[in-house]
Amino acid sequence: MAFPGPQVPGGGFYQGGYGGAPGGPAFPGQAQDPLYGYFAAVAGQDGQIDADELQRCLTQSGIAGAYKPFNLETCRLMISMLDRDMSGTLGFNEFKELWAVVNGWKQHFLSFDNDRSGTVDRQELEKALMNMGFRLSPQAVTAITRRYSTHGKITFDDYIACCVKLRALTECFRRRDTSQQGFVNFQYDDFIQCVMSI
Amino acid sequence: FPGAPYGAGGPYGHTPTGAPYGGGAGPGGPYGQPGPYGGAGPAGSAPPGVDPEAFSWFQAVDADHSGYISVKELKQALLNSNWSTFNDETCLLMINMFDKTRSGRIDVYGFSALLRFIQQWKNLFQQYDRDQSGSISFSELQQAFSQMGYNLSPQFSQLLLARYAQRSSNPSIQLDRFIQICMQLQSTTDAFREKDTGLVGNVRLSYEDFLTMVVTRMM
Repeated sequence: MAFPGPQVPGGGFYQGGYGGAPGGPAFPGQAQDPLYGYFAAVAGQDGQIDADELQRCLTQSGIAGAYKPFNLETCRLMISMLDRDMSGTLGFNEFKELWAVVNGWKQHFLSFDNDRSGTVDRQELEKALMNMGFRLSPQAVTAITRRYSTHGKITFDDYIACCVKLRALTECFRRRDTSQQGFVNFQYDDFIQCVMSI
Repeated sequence: FPGAPYGAGGPYGHTPTGAPYGGGAGPGGPYGQPGPYGGAGPAGSAPPGVDPEAFSWFQAVDADHSGYISVKELKQALLNSNWSTFNDETCLLMINMFDKTRSGRIDVYGFSALLRFIQQWKNLFQQYDRDQSGSISFSELQQAFSQMGYNLSPQFSQLLLARYAQRSSNPSIQLDRFIQICMQLQSTTDAFREKDTGLVGNVRLSYEDFLTMVVTRMM
């Protein structure tokens, strides 16, 4: 079965390169990559960035555009979404992957935020999630809209946090669905670790 | 005006209008129609069944005197050993746990129960914090899980520390994250057990079921 995922430039289900790159440029042209500039400005000697540094980096890159920049908790979530070595940090390649994914989600949000208020309402959120391919039960939709809306509105930052969680859960499930049938047998401790690592 | 018996607002009274919950709360104030509080006692005394200390604290934390405590107000009231305020996620989890009306905030009864809840976790935290550093390290976390009956891998504890601790040579977690982790462990376990009717330690889940289970419990 096809798993949902964000639409990114180039279309199709996102398959990024995994694994962080060490500090220095790893491929020709990397040093000219504008993203590398933002990344290198905050990354230390180890070439990795943590949640605080990611927050600064994203703010400086202006990815949020006219919207308020991401809060720390959302940044933490973004790291956990891509943090395959469970280090709590991202390398440059992972950061690039994140940037592309978030950009895709932002475009989606923009298409719903017609009045440029920086918020969407519950129905719009539901529609956006369905468009992204997340098949959610009515209870799941209710839980999500309740959790992420303030006075019936969902901000850009909360929308991103929601997308990150759903995508991370989807990845978690997909990695275990080896036969691609849409079913997974979970052992208890694997289930706990899977869910709590989101 | 039924809110009036509380006079100038009790021990922290400073509300100009005289009623503890300020003007605009409507007839009967946040506690509704005259009932449990009609003639309940001298100004400032706790509602029946609520510990007086919890009640004082409630009044202090309820900054806007709405009669309810929001996530934001709660956050300001709770401190870790390193003086940082409790994080949003933990406050949200706890409010949801004690919020019977699903309105995203708690009344004095919910708050009173929440304080007892936190005290219980604080006691456990201090127990597991063997070196009394005020925070829980990797080995202390491993021990805590084991003593609580969970059989979880060291990588899992590592991951939690990587996510929730300050980056340092000896990362450790504060009380708020400890509470968050334990609450989530409990909900996740409950969710799993609900599906594992045969008690075999294994469940078969569809993608949609999996998302629903997690989203309704963890978000």
